[in-house]
Amino acid sequence: MKPVFVAGAAVHPFGKQRELSAAELGYRAVRDLIQSTGITPDRVDTGFGGSSYGGSLLAQRVLQRVGVSGQPVYSVENACASGASAVHLGWQAIAAGTADCVIAFGAENLSAFGGGTLPLTTADLEIDQGMVMPGAYAMRAQRYLHDFGATPDDLGRVSVKNRRNGADNPRAHFQKAVTAGDVAESRPVADPLRLLHCCPNSDGAAAVLLCSEDVARELGSPTVRIRGSAVRSGLFHTSYRDMTWPDITARTARAAYDMAELGPADLDLVELHDAFSIAELLHSEALGLAERGQAFKAVSAGEFDRDGRVAVSPSGGLLSRGHPVGATGVTQICEAYWQLTGQAGALQVPGAEVALTHVTGGGIFGVDNGACAVHILTTT
Amino acid sequence: MNTPPTTTARVVGQSWIRDRGDRVALAITHCTRCDSTWFPPRDVCSACASPDVEHTTSDDHGVAYASTVVRIGPAKFRPPYVLAYVDVSGVRVLAHVAGDEALEPGTPVDLRIGPIGADDDGEFSSYVVTPTTGGTR
Repeated sequence: MKPVFVAGAAVHPFGKQRELSAAELGYRAVRDLIQSTGITPDRVDTGFGGSSYGGSLLAQRVLQRVGVSGQPVYSVENACASGASAVHLGWQAIAAGTADCVIAFGAENLSAFGGGTLPLTTADLEIDQGMVMPGAYAMRAQRYLHDFGATPDDLGRVSVKNRRNGADNPRAHFQKAVTAGDVAESRPVADPLRLLHCCPNSDGAAAVLLCSEDVARELGSPTVRIRGSAVRSGLFHTSYRDMTWPDITARTARAAYDMAELGPADLDLVELHDAFSIAELLHSEALGLAERGQAFKAVSAGEFDRDGRVAVSPSGGLLSRGHPVGATGVTQICEAYWQLTGQAGALQVPGAEVALTHVTGGGIFGVDNGACAVHILTTT
Repeated sequence: MNTPPTTTARVVGQSWIRDRGDRVALAITHCTRCDSTWFPPRDVCSACASPDVEHTTSDDHGVAYASTVVRIGPAKFRPPYVLAYVDVSGVRVLAHVAGDEALEPGTPVDLRIGPIGADDDGEFSSYVVTPTTGGTR
């Protein structure tokens, strides 16, 4: 496999932007990427655009506005992992030697659906019974608290940490810290989860430039190397499963760690899929950042703080940035790129050299999640 | 809840429900090649793709794995409503709980028929669970 680099990143800030379609949001991110890297469209060999609700041919509708037309271009749907799956496909193309330069982006507009919980469009028997995403995570939370002796206050500490981190992120949907009291008094959504345990549905877009070593040298912009890139689907079965152990995250992370020849102890920072506060506890354990059933203690001890043992979601995570579904995985890689190139400003994790990004999602019955993506990036 | 179970015209998952007096059981599939168990039933095993499957029926009772009160959700389910994952005869099933409170993990439950929501066409029912009361089992 050939080495693959990230040579540029751009985010159109997340938030409520109902009037901007996914295609318009994606265009703004890709336009900024082109301007900041100086890449010309004829140098781009192929493009991938991730979105869950953006509609047919989103990648063409975005990329043709910046001169990337005629090349092979693909729109990628993999629920919350759509954007990271687009990056993974770009990585595959460069690693295989079939491309030297790729634009991968994610874009989503969720405001068009109105308020409430994320629309589930996959029509299965659990949705017919009233399942909503907060309900699924609420039951995982109830069981985690039951099995490991954690409390709702432990869940709240995840929200407080990530909102504190996000207060410094100009690209975040919420740029305001919250207190434990704010979390505990927020509106109940699905017991034990309250509003401030849940990420907001947001609109936004993010884009990265992926390239080979030759193109990286030519561009001269700061680069980071993708050491591991893995995507996995959920293991489908309808028998008993341990819902406090997201097997899909553990399997995807293992594949990425093996590829990178790195492990959890090597990581300086992780951008994790904290769609709900409980998700950080479940997934940090499955990523190997804490022992089984102990992540809530690590959060409480400050081990996941920006200046802690391993910074978890120093950008604020989904709880602050918001969750424009298809854009989330790409924006995590953008945040990691800025961290590893020393451009993260107030978010900077001092001396960051190794980062992991993790997205997982898709509420279909019979699996932990439909799709999960993990990337490991290092300074070059 | 003391409301007696009612059966309405529309029953979600009706073809999988087997009447057992005041309780119900569910149609499940067992794969004779790889021993996995499935709900809803299927004609090919979703683990090993074998067509050698036998169609059986679950118990009419199980144990709650986890539960929540959904307070923000689709209007047709009339939030707040209670959901639980219930382990029964080797399968885990998501069902409404007939009641106002989330079930503690490990709570024994019975499977029954009950209303779970209403839309423009009226009320609809499905399999629901209630905490097992009194009786011996």
